[in-house]
Amino acid sequence: MEINIRVSGHVTIIELSGNLIIGRSEESLREAVNTLISSEQKNLLLNLADVAIIDSSGIGAMIKSFTSVRAVEGNFKILKPSRMAHQLLTITGLLSVLEIFEDESSAISSF
Amino acid sequence: MQRPAQLKISSQFGVTRIIPLTKPVFAIGRKAENDLQLLSDSVSRQHAEILYQDDAYFIVDVGSKRGTFVNDQRVQRCALQHLDRVRIGGDEDQQIIFLDDTVENASAIFDSSPHLRLSSTTNDRNREASANEELQKLSRFIEVNQAFKFSMTPDDVLCLIVDAAIEITGAERGFLMLRNGKGDLEFKVARDRNRNWLIGNEFSMSRSVVEEAFKQNHSVIINDASDPRYDLPRHSVRHLELRSIACIPLRRFQMSENMDATTVLKRDVIGVLYVDSQVSSGTLSETSVRLLESLAFEATKSLENVRLMHEEQEKKSLESELNMARQVQITLSPTGFNEPSHFGVSALSVPSRYVGGDFYDLIPISDDRSVFVLGDVSGKGIAAALLAAMAQGALQVQFHSALPLTSVITSINKLLVQRSASNKFITLFCGELDAHGHFTYINAGHNPPILARNDGSIETLTTRSVVLGAFDFAAYHPLQTRLNPGDVVVMYTDGVTEAVNAANEMYGEERLTALVREQAGLSAEGIKSMILEDVIRFTQGLPQGDDITMIVLKMKAEISRK
Repeated sequence: MEINIRVSGHVTIIELSGNLIIGRSEESLREAVNTLISSEQKNLLLNLADVAIIDSSGIGAMIKSFTSVRAVEGNFKILKPSRMAHQLLTITGLLSVLEIFEDESSAISSF
Repeated sequence: MQRPAQLKISSQFGVTRIIPLTKPVFAIGRKAENDLQLLSDSVSRQHAEILYQDDAYFIVDVGSKRGTFVNDQRVQRCALQHLDRVRIGGDEDQQIIFLDDTVENASAIFDSSPHLRLSSTTNDRNREASANEELQKLSRFIEVNQAFKFSMTPDDVLCLIVDAAIEITGAERGFLMLRNGKGDLEFKVARDRNRNWLIGNEFSMSRSVVEEAFKQNHSVIINDASDPRYDLPRHSVRHLELRSIACIPLRRFQMSENMDATTVLKRDVIGVLYVDSQVSSGTLSETSVRLLESLAFEATKSLENVRLMHEEQEKKSLESELNMARQVQITLSPTGFNEPSHFGVSALSVPSRYVGGDFYDLIPISDDRSVFVLGDVSGKGIAAALLAAMAQGALQVQFHSALPLTSVITSINKLLVQRSASNKFITLFCGELDAHGHFTYINAGHNPPILARNDGSIETLTTRSVVLGAFDFAAYHPLQTRLNPGDVVVMYTDGVTEAVNAANEMYGEERLTALVREQAGLSAEGIKSMILEDVIRFTQGLPQGDDITMIVLKMKAEISRK
């Protein structure tokens, strides 16, 4: 999995491509979020457009990211989950906690 | 005289060892005193002997209970031919092949002592003959140890290799270095010709020669280091006043062994064997170098065998611990659930590894209230199993205190948020059934159970609540439905629906739903077995990727209506 980070206004966008699954990929997401938090970037938008598969550890990494960002009074939102990812977020009940957006500009203006 | 014939013994674990028949009488049996000890119950204590008489080998049964077989024929006394298959009693664990591919000009050694005794000679020709013998002794010594005691550590083997290398070449010092995890060479053995360990500055050696042998994967032989032909920029060589150096790469051969031929698939350098000498010049003849190379080859093979055996032993002890963990987990699952008259229930959990992160429970709270719990901890293996055990225990305690469903789940969630890593969570379905068919449930982020009504309609049971252990602010509100006679509820974990076949297709919810609807007429037990069989049929023997857990609940006809 690759992680690209870019900044748009006061929001930092984390773009993933590949699979967000147990092992290296979920660890790198958690590391990336920790690094951003320690450099005072607290408005994070996770772009899942290029993520094909998410497993339970991937969901765990998203939960951890969300709670870490909330602990510093920041925000963690999701952009463009695939149909499968959307279904997983629905089943796990995370839709009631995580805000999800289908286009970037409305996501950014929501922060 | 012939070179001794050998027995090639292949165990069911794929470990092959060669035992030379170096004694006129070679005893086989279950007792430790035998030259070949076989531990199977079907082998008698003194079972058979292989005799060497008049340039031929014979196998003789010495009064065994279960017989001695050559090529599947029971024999009393029988001459052995090259490639004959020998079976001792009913011992099918080991395949024994008699090998007698005679090589001329090699001397036989009939020496029953398992101790390695290397002799020193000065004359090179004698040294070759003697070294050849030593080589065979070394090889046999290692084999003997492997066969009977398993007590040799890889370090013991390394010492033997270095001592043998010093003997063969007449060198003064010998070193053995192996590649470590980072790919760098590391000293393992440094010895002198008196078998003393070298210490401190005695370690100084020609690094450049070692590097060349290791990196270029070829032997480096220097007979006179001061000879300008070698064009040695090697500062260390002059500094140490070394005259002769031999450095041989140790290669690991990955082999595919057939009966007749051994094909080398892959070789990589695992280390180097290095000997040097300050005094005697010209000691390293072609022959001793060749011998050194064959020593390196034999040694690496033996080293690999010993390593495999140690790994095997470690694996066994880990396996037995995991088996105990599995037993503990099995005892945590409910047994002997007394079914009330108005419903039937059947459950199972099959971990994909020794222990799993799935758990289930059937808790009778009172005569007319029963609770069903099915959970799945994120992640796999022991970490997940520990968290599953904690959650299951906490749930039991809470439910027995007769609290309502919402309170139980809310407090379990808080406990898990506090006590588990923040990237770990549990998806959980729990339902409570009373005597009148009222089914109250909370679904915390779990795959919605399938409710197959007796009229053929299908519902799914979800409350859209979030997973447990993630957020301390999460709220859990139950929903209620009424279960009627003939209704079936199938609670399951994603190991069922995400089971994958060879074409990488998932079993899926649709297939499961269709099957449940089709088989809803069966008992709870029957439906559960049908699902498991269908998943196994679907995956066509592909290894199970995730834990599979199910609870099937079926309402019976005689239900009181209120």
